[in-house]
Amino acid sequence: MGRGILWLAAGLACCLACAAAQESTIYMAVLSSRSHQWNSADNPVIGLFTSTDRGASWQHIGWREYIRTFYSVESVDGTLWTACGNGVLRSTDGGTSWKVTTGWEETEVLKIAVDPRRPERVFAATAYGPIATTDGGETWEFRRNGLSRWFTGDVCIDWKQSARVLLASETGVLISVDGGRRWRPTSLKGKDIRTIVQDPSADGRFWAGTEQDGIWASANGGATWHSASKGLSHMTVYCIVFDPDDPVRMYAGTHGGGVYRSSDHGRTWQQCSQGLLNLVVHSLAVLPGGPPTVFAGTLNDGLFRSTDGGDTWTFNSQPEAQVWGLSTGKGIRERAR
Amino acid sequence: MRNCRRHWWALTVGMALGMLTTTAVLAGPADSAFAARSARVLEVAAGESEYNLLTIAAKLKTGHDVPRAHHMLDSLTRDRAMGGMFYCYTLIGVYLHTRDVLPDALARKIREAFRVRTMYRGDTENHWVMYYTGLYLASQTWPDEPGTMWFNGKSSAENFSESRAWLEYWMKTTSTIGQGEFDSPTYMTVFLAPMLVLHEFALEGTMKKRAGMMADLLLADFAAEHLEGSYGGGHSRDYPEDIINPLGAPSTMWAWLYFGRPQFEQWNEVRYRPRHRGSWETVFAALSSYRLPGVIERMALDRAQPYVHREKKRTRNIIRFQSEKNLPVYKYTFMTKDYVLGSLQGGILQPIQQHTWDVTFASPEPHNTLFTLHPFVSARELAMFFPEEQAFLAAEVDRYHKVYTSPDKWNSSSPYEQTFQHRGSLIVLYNIDAGAQHPHIDGFFPANLEERTEDRSGWIFCRKGQVYIGVYALAPYSWIKEEVNWRLRSNVLRNGVVVEVSSQSEAGSFEEFTGELRNRKPEVRNFNTTLTAAFMTRDGKRMQFTYGGKRLLDGRAVTFPVDKLFDGRWMQSTVGTGVIRMTDGVRTRTLDFPRAQVTDN
Repeated sequence: MGRGILWLAAGLACCLACAAAQESTIYMAVLSSRSHQWNSADNPVIGLFTSTDRGASWQHIGWREYIRTFYSVESVDGTLWTACGNGVLRSTDGGTSWKVTTGWEETEVLKIAVDPRRPERVFAATAYGPIATTDGGETWEFRRNGLSRWFTGDVCIDWKQSARVLLASETGVLISVDGGRRWRPTSLKGKDIRTIVQDPSADGRFWAGTEQDGIWASANGGATWHSASKGLSHMTVYCIVFDPDDPVRMYAGTHGGGVYRSSDHGRTWQQCSQGLLNLVVHSLAVLPGGPPTVFAGTLNDGLFRSTDGGDTWTFNSQPEAQVWGLSTGKGIRERAR
Repeated sequence: MRNCRRHWWALTVGMALGMLTTTAVLAGPADSAFAARSARVLEVAAGESEYNLLTIAAKLKTGHDVPRAHHMLDSLTRDRAMGGMFYCYTLIGVYLHTRDVLPDALARKIREAFRVRTMYRGDTENHWVMYYTGLYLASQTWPDEPGTMWFNGKSSAENFSESRAWLEYWMKTTSTIGQGEFDSPTYMTVFLAPMLVLHEFALEGTMKKRAGMMADLLLADFAAEHLEGSYGGGHSRDYPEDIINPLGAPSTMWAWLYFGRPQFEQWNEVRYRPRHRGSWETVFAALSSYRLPGVIERMALDRAQPYVHREKKRTRNIIRFQSEKNLPVYKYTFMTKDYVLGSLQGGILQPIQQHTWDVTFASPEPHNTLFTLHPFVSARELAMFFPEEQAFLAAEVDRYHKVYTSPDKWNSSSPYEQTFQHRGSLIVLYNIDAGAQHPHIDGFFPANLEERTEDRSGWIFCRKGQVYIGVYALAPYSWIKEEVNWRLRSNVLRNGVVVEVSSQSEAGSFEEFTGELRNRKPEVRNFNTTLTAAFMTRDGKRMQFTYGGKRLLDGRAVTFPVDKLFDGRWMQSTVGTGVIRMTDGVRTRTLDFPRAQVTDN
């Protein structure tokens, strides 16, 4: 009886620990690093890293050498997906083993979006156009119908209406309402789009970051867009994220200006880069719980962390690294929605 | 004991040389010379001490210092940092060449490397050739194994199928619309060596055949523009050190091995030593059963008659800012026994390392070339070809290529440069944007020219041996003395040069050449407004060229031969057919890629 209670307590502790870990898992994709020398040393300073303790420690997972790792994300079923030069990688055992799911035609994969309702349905943005799988990566196909230019830097699946997919292209934001089979332009055209995200707190609201044209917002499912750059002095925007505890609080990573923050749901932006040693911020992630913890990935100076909602920053990990992509675990994203 | 070992090694190398020579004698004088050079490459490579898979192969094949070779191979297979496409194809190549003498433990480590190493596929054409050649041969060697036995989680069958599909795609593309990383004195090495390994070990008859045909094609492509060891004319990409010193490029070692030129071992001499000498890819050629067809050897060596050689190539894949993935590249090359003058049409055809034109002359001395360029720098240019963020690409490229943003670089594409060539005459025009980061042009004039005289006529007369060069600058310039050269620098945005190349056999004495050229000054009126230059060539043709306008020869517009992949004395091919005909006037070899057939007549 005593031993049973002991096992029960241990199991409960384990569950709580797992839940906590799930709540704070972060994935960091390091594209390259000045500390890295090609084929010179056993130094896994590039590739994929994960932390489950709010950035107190990081573990390298997966391939150790350069494969141009751009981004990694965890789907709701726990599958890990990585976008890289070799294609789309998939791991179903937490990153211990990986399979390249794509073939030779798919390369320079920059970003991945997984359908939160049907995790076997995945989109990826590549330099040669968007690709999609509906069978968990067993087969992929290009979805380029309607594109005048192929280069795409980001893709976003509407978590309420999964047939609606938005695409960040060099000719503007494109939208598909049939799962990417046909793309059409939106009102945001003629701009080079760097990132596109869905607002977790409002149906049909999307945000886009551009090359030299600031931030744009749409409140009608991506059909029409308006500028939302008030207060922004650095107009190339690589990433936009939301505070899961307070989604009206947003952060944007810029070229040259570091991090900008909005406390009024994107109406106005204020620069908050104190302590950042590099103002080219390509990736951001926000953890829930406690004082808001924000991570900023810079290009060539590694990862920075703020534990006061972006007021101040300190170096966290991977000196001299290009932290191309950051994402949070499935639990955080689901909680935000 | 040490002496004993040395004696044993000398005996073994001697036996290896003897065996190769015996084979060569049976095969004829050309093969005999090739066999001797192959043996020499193996002998020198086997004596190297660096940790390199190719020198290991040379040691194991010649029997030189086998214990050390085993130790080196053990180290390279255990090193967790080793990986990538270079490693991928060389590792399987070394394994297949030496497996009959490899200890089982080392053979198992090589197999294990394909399970645990990171094999990056890369982002250039040569990277993919190496990666998929390596993967094709590895999955052929270890068939029927599950994904858990491979670094990428794919089964042997999946890897084999994917590799074959891409290799077939690349061969088809190259033989129908041209190579992207074309005619590179540095990178031809990493196309040729994988094809020789593939030809040697592919078990599928069609793949083996096509790999041999690709080796023919790559070597013929080189041979047609080869002059005494140098790769003349325009190149898709190359490094500054090799551009200013053609005899120092890796291609020269291949010329020495297959063409017997230059007639001395420049690759083994410090003052000529290629930067990549230590990579030793020619070891795979020395070990290969592939033999250069006689028709290609003659293409490389017969310079009795001058000729014009035209080629069509393609740009590297363009991923941004335009719809067309591969734009056409047009090459024009004029070959004589003394010099080669060659050019690309100008514009951005490759990122970073383009070499648009040069005159290269036959000489045993280094720096046997002369050219001009505009050192262009643009993040947008880089973003055309690379997927990373354009705002930081220039600094990133500088990390690897060191000189991209330098105002003094010797390799560059430029959207502000255009050329028009007719035989030994060339007009190069520049229309540099006022906002360009480096608003000047540079010219490379080797310091060891025997003459470099600024004539009152405006011509700069140069002589090296029997080769004469006249350069007429269309805008004011100054000279900068550098270590191995004089740099012509002109800070005028609307700019250009007219170049005339000749030789003693064509023009008589140098005085005759200069005297005659004084009477043929380029016609340039209001150049700053018209951007037009005209020039009467040695053979009485009037060239007229307006930047952004027509190229006129005797008043008739010269157009690029859009349907010719190769067009010249030695090679003929129509775009899209995949059929390349090579001839030396007596013998003909036809490569038919769609049918995987070679026909000799």
